[in-house]
Amino acid sequence: MDSEDDMHDANDAESMDDDYYSGDTAVEYSEDDDDGDDDGDYEFDNDSVDSDDVSTSRRQQKNYIALKEADIRQHQENEITTISTVLSISRVDASILLRHYHWSVSNVHEVWFADEDRVRKAVGLLERPVVRFPNAKELTCGICFESFPLDRISSAACGHPFCNLCWRAYMSTSIDGGPGCLMLRCPDPSCGAAIGQDMINLLVSEEDKEKYARYLLRSYIEDNRKTKWCPAPGCEYAVEFVVGSENYDVSCLCSYGFCWNCTEEAHRPVDCGTVAKWIMKNSAESENMNWILANSKPCPKCKRPIEKNQGCMHMTCTPPCKFEFCWLCLGAWSDHGERTGGFYACNRYEAAKQEGAYDETERRREMAKNSLERYTHYYERWATNQSSRQKALADLHQMQTVNLEKLSDKQSQPESQLKFITEAWLQIVECRRVLKWTYAYGYYLPEPEQAKRQFFEYLQGEAEAGLERLHQCAEKDVQAYLGAEPPPTDFNDFRTKLAGLTSVTRNYFENLVRALENGLSDVDSQGASSKTATAKSVAAFGKGKSGRGKSSRAGGPSKNSDDHGFWTCDQCTYFNTRSLPTCEMCHQPRRNA
Amino acid sequence: MGPTQRDALSKIACNRLQKELVEWQVNPPSGFKHKVTDNLQRWVIEVNGAPGTLYAGETYQLQVDFPEHYPMEAPQVIFVPPAPLHPHIYSNGHICLDILYDSWSPAMTVSSICISILSMLSSSPVKQRPADNDRYVKNCKNGRSPKETRWWFHDDKV
Repeated sequence: MDSEDDMHDANDAESMDDDYYSGDTAVEYSEDDDDGDDDGDYEFDNDSVDSDDVSTSRRQQKNYIALKEADIRQHQENEITTISTVLSISRVDASILLRHYHWSVSNVHEVWFADEDRVRKAVGLLERPVVRFPNAKELTCGICFESFPLDRISSAACGHPFCNLCWRAYMSTSIDGGPGCLMLRCPDPSCGAAIGQDMINLLVSEEDKEKYARYLLRSYIEDNRKTKWCPAPGCEYAVEFVVGSENYDVSCLCSYGFCWNCTEEAHRPVDCGTVAKWIMKNSAESENMNWILANSKPCPKCKRPIEKNQGCMHMTCTPPCKFEFCWLCLGAWSDHGERTGGFYACNRYEAAKQEGAYDETERRREMAKNSLERYTHYYERWATNQSSRQKALADLHQMQTVNLEKLSDKQSQPESQLKFITEAWLQIVECRRVLKWTYAYGYYLPEPEQAKRQFFEYLQGEAEAGLERLHQCAEKDVQAYLGAEPPPTDFNDFRTKLAGLTSVTRNYFENLVRALENGLSDVDSQGASSKTATAKSVAAFGKGKSGRGKSSRAGGPSKNSDDHGFWTCDQCTYFNTRSLPTCEMCHQPRRNA
Repeated sequence: MGPTQRDALSKIACNRLQKELVEWQVNPPSGFKHKVTDNLQRWVIEVNGAPGTLYAGETYQLQVDFPEHYPMEAPQVIFVPPAPLHPHIYSNGHICLDILYDSWSPAMTVSSICISILSMLSSSPVKQRPADNDRYVKNCKNGRSPKETRWWFHDDKV
């Protein structure tokens, strides 16, 4: 990362200029905020405090609420109160009614006012007893057939008498049987009178009361169309979702993100169907994968096995070798990123294949079948990002529990001023997740749509490169400020760099997600002139609102170069600087120059 | 699971069964005869097909085994083979009747079960085995109790 010296102040978006993604490649990321190009989809600016910002407002428009147990209780109580008030029935009856109609207030209103008698009968809410014993001093229990004085006899609204002991046994048998106890009725076979929580609480043991209350609370989440438990192991929170919303990704208070629709982990920009296919595919192929994806790889230089124990892909072999390489492609790290004018391309399956990287090792040669090889390519990158994300979560934890305090101490900064580090890690975790799913997306991207694939791989490559920079900065650069030796640069420079990378990466990934969710429709919509459209998308994707984007569009669909110092490769749609005679990516000579 | 392996009746169950037995002797359900044994936990009851039905003149035997926590738990009720030919009665004597399983209530009695079974027999328009009889009976080979079956009560006409 050479550009950190250019960084000035992370809080000033205007200064967050260039270089984070593109290095010295053609696409620049300026922060121009002039709103000329209203092209919409990929537009964004990096100033996330700007309330007009499309991406910011989308981020804030939450279509779900995460609920703690107290919240769940509160919601449930509120709805019971509503029904009890509107229908003029007891709270217990309202609770029974709501449970019967899956905790839908509107549904209860509708059926009740349509036909109250029918509802009362179906649910078992009796208005008056069906049997009366006005003058009895003793009654016979309908279960044990013994006679009892009235104070040892209880009845539901129907009046059927059972002794308290039999009630207790009846209720506790039902509670032991599970949540079905919420639908308990009078034991008399001809009677459907509902038994509510009030009666349960009068007659059963403390333990059973608690169990019943727990079932009732669970029912509010489980029988409800608009709520679900967070599927994370051990998490006790629930999520209430605004049914009908488009975006299914929700994030629980426990920080686990999941898809509300399929309850798999959050998988934007990939749809639920693709995720299900991919997970099936993985379980089917896992036997094959196991031997391929051992946990270690040999150092490409000295061949000693290396275990990846950090999150980012930049590996450094142990001394004396010290060879720096990329975990994914095993190529020298110096070939990656802007320093060499190179390009982060190890996300590309085709590129890896053409360069013969796959022929290099014995193992890969054995994998004769192309389909498996192709799948392996995507799976490996999917899985690596997955474990990278796990590592990042652990690092985040370590940072929050140990290192922040240490850093605060060493750099004489209040911990509140170190929030940018936590934010960076949260962003890394989120980006690793998105990046992971882009590999499932790539695997299922239709083969014939070359323009789309190339655009996709370009975006994915940029995303990956950007994330690598952020991850490396958060993981490695920070070490300098934790050690005993004096750090190479001022701490504020580190702050500026990391906060800047976080912000740029966040915006880039938000756009990436939207672009992929749109099915890369920019490539589609332009039909025959898709290549120019792609170029425009790239420009818009980068920074959108700059004058460049505007003129690029104004340039018309047949032009593949413009007067702003860029030309688009006919072959691969790459956005090249004007001075280059051949495409930086595919070496195709420039045409229409 | 035979009754010998079953836990002995609880005190509550004993008391209740004694009361049921007394009531039965005073007021037996018509068409049924309790065959007296000294075993309170297993009742054997003779059933006579009701006059004017497909089972008129026929006699079958019901075997009723009571669990430890009767009447909170349902008794196990089967016909001792040969069982009547009926669309809800399997050749091994198992009976597909909701009150014997999911819809059991402790306010029901042996007597009320008997009346339900006779009513089920009487309303049958045809003498035949359930469609899945062979498969079901085969699956029950290792002495499986009908209470371990997940019954599917799909036909409330018969």
